[in-house]
Amino acid sequence: MNISLKNISFSYSDSLDDAILKNLNLEIRSGECVVLAGESGCGKTTISKLINGLIPHYHSGTMDGDVLLGGKNTSDMTLAEISRVVGSVFQNPRSQFFNIDTDCELAFGCENLGMDPKEIKQRVENVVQEFYLEHLLGRSIFNLSGGEKQKIACASVSATGPEIFVLDEPSANLDLKTIADLKEIVSRWKRAGKTVVIVEHRLYYLRDVADRICYVKDGKIAEEWTPAELEAKGLEYATNLGLRCMNLEMLNVRDGVILSVVRQAHQPCKVPELVEGPQGSKEQDLAKQSIIFTNLTFSYHHKHPILDIDRLELPCGQITALIGHNGAGKSTLAQLLCGLQGSWRQKRAARKRGAYLIMQDVNHQLFTESVLDEVLLGMKPQNEKLALEILDGLNLKQYTENHPMALSGGQKQRVAVASGISSGCDVVVFDEPTSGLDYRQMLAVSATLKKLAASGKTLLVITHDPEFILNSCQSVIRMEQGKIVEQYPLSGNENHLIKTMVK
Amino acid sequence: MRTTGKKSSNTLVRDLVNVGIFGALYLVLSGLGASIGFIPAFIVVSTCIVSLVTSVPLFLFFSKVERPLLCCVLLCMLFGIVMTVSGHGISFGLLCVIYGVLAGLCLKLFHKNFVGCLLANVMISFVPSSMMIPLWSSTEEYLAYCSSICDKAYIAHLAELSSSYWPLIGLFGFGAAGAVVGGFIARRMMKKHFERIGLAQ
Amino acid sequence: MIFSAPLVYSLLMVVVASILLLLEGKWKFVCTFFFVYLTAGFFFDFVKNLDIGTSGTIILASLFLMYRIMPACAVLYYVITTTKVNEFLACMSRMHVSNKVTIPLIVMIRFFPTVYDESRAIGNAMRMRGIRLFSLRTLKSPVAFLEYRLVPLLVSVTKIGDELSIAAVTRGLSAETKRTCVATIGFRWVDAVVIAYCVAVVLFYVIPGLTGNLPSV
Repeated sequence: MNISLKNISFSYSDSLDDAILKNLNLEIRSGECVVLAGESGCGKTTISKLINGLIPHYHSGTMDGDVLLGGKNTSDMTLAEISRVVGSVFQNPRSQFFNIDTDCELAFGCENLGMDPKEIKQRVENVVQEFYLEHLLGRSIFNLSGGEKQKIACASVSATGPEIFVLDEPSANLDLKTIADLKEIVSRWKRAGKTVVIVEHRLYYLRDVADRICYVKDGKIAEEWTPAELEAKGLEYATNLGLRCMNLEMLNVRDGVILSVVRQAHQPCKVPELVEGPQGSKEQDLAKQSIIFTNLTFSYHHKHPILDIDRLELPCGQITALIGHNGAGKSTLAQLLCGLQGSWRQKRAARKRGAYLIMQDVNHQLFTESVLDEVLLGMKPQNEKLALEILDGLNLKQYTENHPMALSGGQKQRVAVASGISSGCDVVVFDEPTSGLDYRQMLAVSATLKKLAASGKTLLVITHDPEFILNSCQSVIRMEQGKIVEQYPLSGNENHLIKTMVK
Repeated sequence: MRTTGKKSSNTLVRDLVNVGIFGALYLVLSGLGASIGFIPAFIVVSTCIVSLVTSVPLFLFFSKVERPLLCCVLLCMLFGIVMTVSGHGISFGLLCVIYGVLAGLCLKLFHKNFVGCLLANVMISFVPSSMMIPLWSSTEEYLAYCSSICDKAYIAHLAELSSSYWPLIGLFGFGAAGAVVGGFIARRMMKKHFERIGLAQ
Repeated sequence: MIFSAPLVYSLLMVVVASILLLLEGKWKFVCTFFFVYLTAGFFFDFVKNLDIGTSGTIILASLFLMYRIMPACAVLYYVITTTKVNEFLACMSRMHVSNKVTIPLIVMIRFFPTVYDESRAIGNAMRMRGIRLFSLRTLKSPVAFLEYRLVPLLVSVTKIGDELSIAAVTRGLSAETKRTCVATIGFRWVDAVVIAYCVAVVLFYVIPGLTGNLPSV
């Protein structure tokens, strides 16, 4: 089914003066797979909302222009009618389920459309086979991993058999293995002749699937390429536009800009022999030192330990990446290190050690009405000067009076970091700090982390983002089934890293 | 040029979902607040605590819904249904609906300004206050029921309460007072947090 | 008899819930439940006859929670874990209850675990910052504690609510649509047996009371 957006302007407020989309035109042919890329806040999610009818039917604002789905204007249809033709999958797997179990969720869309029960059963069976979901049937939604939830969401949308699929950053919370499954799903839709529109930061997995990549900037389609064209333009071109890489292998084969920069930055740590003088030897000591954690075991059932690590060594003053597939026990390890899980003895040890967790959803750890209060809250004794210094170090000085939750995602994260520093923690653990971020934001996070490491903090970062690891980490720990499988310094092992992450 | 997202059947679903989530929050918070009533001296004051704790979420709820009358009725009805299922009389459920209608009307008449919200909050505070009405309307049965679950001192205290109507007035009075004080706290919270975050106007 | 009459009757009712739960394979839940329930029931009578004033009331109240509310919770647990959303919606629409009532009810039931998860995450974050319920700081300013706890919870819960309603709306849920349901629902002989049993137990409890011999309490 053709999609055409004609002279669209839209703003979330009462007038079109501060419009997020300005006179936008976009034609998507039937059976095409189009990726909308661009920096955060450029309006690409708004375009997806225009296609699935949330604008003009759900979000309040001001709109000009028409959206035609196969010749029909969306403003003349109801949302229920649009949902017959357009299926939507969203970014956050946590909040897109209406049901509590997977079976119902798969049938939910069909039931809303009032289909015949027999046909629904047939359709659900079909999608279960198509998406290999047999092992997920009859499970509670609350016990699924993010990847499994996203698969169920795709399948359940697919069951209603829409002609158009709209995906809004579906890979934000997934690991590389699950992203490969997602790619499989998208190409299956494409083979079936469906039209697919994907809003996405991570482009590499869509390299073979997408027909077109539209670069959205300031509410307009600024550029259009095929994936091959974009790849041919090179990494630097994409980086300048704030786009993520097109090809993971390019990251390591082409020992280009990023890697060399990384190497330079890490030189003093890596080759301490070269640095001389008393200061140098001090740094050398620091590089050799590491914080050692012992007895990191955790289980709900003593027969099936979730986490079973005798000894964990984190090099001081460095950034260590913690990788592993969903469900490998990474988050449990982080909670254990920070004293949020485990026996009272483990908790007491954690409190003494002072590890601080920056959660994936930072909204959970912002309590007060201003950024300054937020930093002062955990301080003992409260010292405003020191707090301002910390904030200055994280480029937050001009926001001291702002409400923490009114800031942007990256700024919120930095406020959380500041509050961690102010409570006097030496080890900071990050839980997926770069999920759903564009290239520039990722670089900003990376810069924050490097600064933190340079100030002597020891960082452990749980992440699924190879670009980020190559950009900022010095060593890598890989976990599998609650155990540490390997630990190695990053430099020289980049190929190995990407291979194990994709596998 | 046209405005979008105004009062269609689709925003009705948003309102219904909001009733659901705030209903869940209201139940949890009022349950926690009411548990203080297990200490005999605090029975009369417990309604005050409940309405203090619940007024911030309720104010946020008032500001988020587009159909105040329907949503208030549904919220109170939800509470009534849950309480009816867990052993209170049908009459309590009906009373809940009446309070809901009154609260919705307050919001509607005052166009959701502070006075309207405050009045609606007071109306909804009567819902938990009414849970103890049977102690006065059918004293003997209620005491007989309670004597199977509480010790003698507590029952004696209850019986003492039931002998005059002042404690009943106290229940409602403290509930309403809590709602008013809670309303002012809630207004501060709305200004301090939710409006700055952009969750409420 | 070691237990007084009400416990025996409520036991008769509890049996229904536990058989239903056993049929679902929740034997572990049932075992723990019975253990706690029976101990609570036993000590309940014991403590009540001690007559030790206010502290007795507090103990009694907590025992009461276990002894009187746990059976209801067991039934609730059974209902919530085994009733599927679509079955519930279909059931209600067949009973001519409007979607306007059932949608909030469903969302509410679905939301209790979410509220719990979110508030636990916030509690964790508070613990890392050294804000605890039982501390000097909380005693000094209880309102601030409430604020720290409530505001992040409200923010995240409203956000989840918004996303949830968007997901529901794009998948065709609205107050007017007539839904169908995959599962076949209806009143069958099993339902009749359970209801007959329950009515019988209630009658056995009520009839002696009517003739003046209220079972000893």
